[in-house]
Amino acid sequence: MANAGIAPLDGFRVAAGGQGTAGDYARLLLASLGAQVSPAGIFDHEHPALAWKRSGLMDLTGRAEGPPRMCPVPLAACADGVIATLAALAEGFDIGIPSGAALLGVRARHAGLRRNGAASPGGSCRLLRTADGELAINLARPDDWALVPAWLECDATTDWEQIATAIARASGTKLLERARLLGLAAAVSDVPTVEAPPWVRLSAVGTRLPAGGRDPAPLVVDLSSLWAGPLCGHLLHRLGARVVKVESHQREDGARNGPPAFFDLLNAGKASVRLDLATLAGRSQLRQLVARADIVIEASRPRAMRQLGICAEEVVAARPGVTWLSITGHGREEPQAGWIAFGDDAGVAAGLSRILHDTTGERLICADAIGDPLTGTHAALAAWASYLAGGGHLVALSLAGVLGHCVAFDLPASAEALRERNDEWTRVAGCAGACRSTYPAPAARARPIGADTQAVLAELDIRC
Amino acid sequence: MKTLKAGTRLKSAVCDTEVMVIRTRPAAMLLCCGGTEMIAMDGEKLGTVPDEAFAQGTLVGKRYVDEQDATELLCTKGGKGSLSIDGQALAVKQAKALPSSD
Repeated sequence: MANAGIAPLDGFRVAAGGQGTAGDYARLLLASLGAQVSPAGIFDHEHPALAWKRSGLMDLTGRAEGPPRMCPVPLAACADGVIATLAALAEGFDIGIPSGAALLGVRARHAGLRRNGAASPGGSCRLLRTADGELAINLARPDDWALVPAWLECDATTDWEQIATAIARASGTKLLERARLLGLAAAVSDVPTVEAPPWVRLSAVGTRLPAGGRDPAPLVVDLSSLWAGPLCGHLLHRLGARVVKVESHQREDGARNGPPAFFDLLNAGKASVRLDLATLAGRSQLRQLVARADIVIEASRPRAMRQLGICAEEVVAARPGVTWLSITGHGREEPQAGWIAFGDDAGVAAGLSRILHDTTGERLICADAIGDPLTGTHAALAAWASYLAGGGHLVALSLAGVLGHCVAFDLPASAEALRERNDEWTRVAGCAGACRSTYPAPAARARPIGADTQAVLAELDIRC
Repeated sequence: MKTLKAGTRLKSAVCDTEVMVIRTRPAAMLLCCGGTEMIAMDGEKLGTVPDEAFAQGTLVGKRYVDEQDATELLCTKGGKGSLSIDGQALAVKQAKALPSSD
């Protein structure tokens, strides 16, 4: 249930109290990492339905012209539980993250997104009918549209209506297989798995340093983009780490072109380094930078790193105490290693759209890129636990695995029980009136791209 | 010589390379890998090795374009041969830009 064998916090006593769902989830996570949980610490018991409403995600789920929808599995409470766990590991140091639930809705708030039924609030993901079910396709990158004719073997597919028509005649399994070959993010809307998949896999591929007494400000090299990885880097920064965000001349973090306040929220306080990965010198600088890190955050397919001449296992093995955090869509094993996922389609893959269909009868995307913030928070917990324990780990999380874990954590045993819970939670949320957590504005602006390249390379003695 | 179509999958006759056609022009062309014409996915491989002039290799996930940027292939499985159309080697295309949101 927890992870593939290694319990990094074995021997640690962590004080984690709290009643209710979020507290239960926090204790489950800590136990899965091997920690002994002692009852202490206080956080308020909140009904999971209220957490959902307060997060802002209820307003983001449902048809545009219909009512906001409850999610009858406690995703927002899970997010609160992860943040409570991080706070417990910080041992009294205020990490300044007031609410995990509010973190889930923070992008939609900054971008002014609204619920839109079977389309994601961000607009790039649609849940469409196939000949034998429903399939989510996420055309997030502008260039993804160029792959649609090849995907559907039909030259004349240039808009959503034409895609919907073509898909309605095809089998979901075939469409999924071809989408994966093309590197498109797709998911068949399926029932959730009752057995929780592991939310993290730790492999001991290097040497562990003695736990305890580690530098309170480890060097984090963050190679990730968009939301999950940068959120993880942000949380590690809040825990005291020094974070260097790395982008390439070839590909900047796409979130730089999104709402500035959201980018600042995730990236303020990180140094910004830009490298030219088309050159041998740039790739050498990247390898040296990664070799200096205590924690590497990386959210790409394993083959992308291999093609840059970097092997995660070798980086961890090269120096004692290193943690490599890998975030993928569906896992690092073959064939899943080649599949991509974004936050919305990962939610469909985890069964959220099927749950919503069973309770509302509607075809809906659940919330806004739900896989991203849930994975980013879990990733920070796993990376910090590995670091505290002395490192030497490859720590692997996937959007699908984290969402599957959250969905299965408190899933009603039958469709009828799910509907009953949905009715009850909807009533609870309805009685509460308007409520919505605020999330603090970013403390500062993020650094312009590459603003710290020379300073960081010089300080870490990285040569061309 | 074959006229290709978006979505067609082909494999090399002389190495492990597999491709999918992303876009192309409606004309017959000689698409080769390792210097030998590519074959249907259920076709018989030759059992020979790539011609040395076309043996730089292909990488899975990379997209390859011809000089006119009219035909684009996605490599779905890498191999030892390299791709060419009518004798002209194909070049690797730049990685996809990231979205501002997903």
